Amino acid sequence: MSERTLPIDAEESRTSFLTELQHRLPLETYVLALTVLLWITLGVVSPYFWTEGNVTNILRQVSIDAILAFGSLFPIILAGIDLSVGSVAGLSGVVFSMLVADGDVSLVPALAATLAMGVAIGVINGWAIDRLGIPPFIVTLAGLQGYRGLALLLSGGMTISGMPAGLQSFSLSSVAHIPTLFLLMAAIGFCAHFLLAYTRLGRYMYAIGSNAEAARRVGIRVIHVTTIAYALAALFATISGLLLVARLSMGSPTAATGSELEAIAAAVVGGASLFGGRGTILGCFIGALLFTTLGNGANLLGINSFWQMVIEGLLIAFVVYFDNVQKRRQAGIR
Amino acid sequence: MKGILLIAAVAFGVGGAAQAQQPQQFSNAKIDVIVKATTSQYWATVFDGARKAAQVLGVQIATLGAPSELDAAQEVSIMENAISAHPTGIVIAATNAQALAQPIAEATKAGIPVVVIDSDANTKDYVTFLATNNETGGKKAADEIARCVQARTGKEAGNVAYLTALAGAQSLNDRDKGFVEELKKHPGLKIVEHRVGNNQPSRALSDSEDLLTRHPDLVGMFADNELEGDGAGTAVSEKGLANKMCLVAFDTSDTEIKFVKSGIIDGLIVQNPYMMGYAGVWYALAAAHGVAFPKYVDTGVNVVTKDNIGSPQMAGLLDPSKYVLTPFLGEQ
Repeated sequence: MSERTLPIDAEESRTSFLTELQHRLPLETYVLALTVLLWITLGVVSPYFWTEGNVTNILRQVSIDAILAFGSLFPIILAGIDLSVGSVAGLSGVVFSMLVADGDVSLVPALAATLAMGVAIGVINGWAIDRLGIPPFIVTLAGLQGYRGLALLLSGGMTISGMPAGLQSFSLSSVAHIPTLFLLMAAIGFCAHFLLAYTRLGRYMYAIGSNAEAARRVGIRVIHVTTIAYALAALFATISGLLLVARLSMGSPTAATGSELEAIAAAVVGGASLFGGRGTILGCFIGALLFTTLGNGANLLGINSFWQMVIEGLLIAFVVYFDNVQKRRQAGIR
Repeated sequence: MKGILLIAAVAFGVGGAAQAQQPQQFSNAKIDVIVKATTSQYWATVFDGARKAAQVLGVQIATLGAPSELDAAQEVSIMENAISAHPTGIVIAATNAQALAQPIAEATKAGIPVVVIDSDANTKDYVTFLATNNETGGKKAADEIARCVQARTGKEAGNVAYLTALAGAQSLNDRDKGFVEELKKHPGLKIVEHRVGNNQPSRALSDSEDLLTRHPDLVGMFADNELEGDGAGTAVSEKGLANKMCLVAFDTSDTEIKFVKSGIIDGLIVQNPYMMGYAGVWYALAAAHGVAFPKYVDTGVNVVTKDNIGSPQMAGLLDPSKYVLTPFLGEQ
């Protein structure tokens, strides 16, 4: 509602505002409610759920998945997709752990080199999509295969051990009872949220995702924005690959296999639209938290691991269906 | 006939002596060694053993496999390609017993001797099956947990859980079966939980963490392969339960060995993949020259603990570069 809205009858405006609100509550509100409900139910059913150890576990488990989901949100907002994030995470883990294994290279240069590699991969993805005009699905599908292959090739298919002890103690450390991993994820999430919600670049991303042609015509440099979006996706994937190495104290060439789909699922359940123009960082976090809670709950209640997968599948289908119903109703009102 | 004698001489002779008189006859022979996944140390050790045999016998080998153990379809294609290339022999570990049965039978029909190692296929059309008795391995794991719990608490009682790395793999099913059966002989120990992972250490880690949260009274845990062992060990170490939890895991990754040395893993059930690769190659070559073998050869399992990890016998099992071949194959 901007100031230029014409004055209308106060009574009518109030009711329409309420109905509007009711129908326009973003999807993530419902998903958050579902997650909270799940937390309460699990708290009632399992005496171990609300213990400090378990909450710490959930916070640590959600962190790496959420960072990957944040990254995959940028291309999704542009109505694109990045299927290579899992492989990029795996490749960065391998490169980083090969560099630091047995103290060959000290931590800081190794981190810098790996992060730079991640950004370079993203820039190549963005360039191929916008300049060469290859669909994002294909470019990043090639990446999914190619970067995983590179990770296997570099490591000879073997896990790499001999990580400095400081890495694992970092991943286990806490600040005021909150895991450092979680705080790091929150800080990254905050930056990403700020970028999307409060900067021109962020608004350009939503604009391109809503209507790329219109965005081009009003003078948005689509290639720059696209490149930045895919570079961020790869950068975030690299960060989560590095954290995975820290967490397990080893580099595995098959690490994060299939995670790209989990990340996309978290973004979609959190309200992002694969048709572009929609999606928030907070939603991604809520989506990732819901999936982590489901996994944790299944383990705590001893639910069969295969049922867990079925439930996750049903959940994705249900949430997207619910979102569609909401949108149709909204369209009917106008 | 001369060929058989030579193989026998090489196989039963001391490695060094055999190398001195490189048997030229076999230089045209090519053996394909196909493993379940090229991404684990275990299969790399199989390759090490196979390369050693190739060097001793003077044959060519090709080391093949899919990157992931989940990928039975890719292993089938590798096998089909191998059949078209018609090598002297094939050594293969079947990712999926049913999926690989047909290709293995076809190779045999095409006149290529197939030696199956580690994991069996649902066919008998092969030369021999050279493997760990996984059920025995699972039983040893159960006994080791019982021994450890007894030593730690003075009685054989408490709750136990086990973690399966992956659904649908015959060797893992056998380990679990042996474990569950043998644990029945220790009535004080009760299985309260079973989780199935996706062969990723990160999943094994979160599953184990949650398991330890749900069952704070757990006294023992069994992880049925190395990736599962890496994750379970990390969870036990994170929770500081090394002195309370009797963790027994299968196979030998660097991480697992580190955990044994630091007392986080109490027992490792160790197979002999080096011998599977080594004997696999020479059995395949011998079979190509008409030698018959029994349908099943057990390569044995050992339990590595903090106490015996330094012994020379275990050192060779943990680090293939230290493997000393005994004059008689199959002898442990």
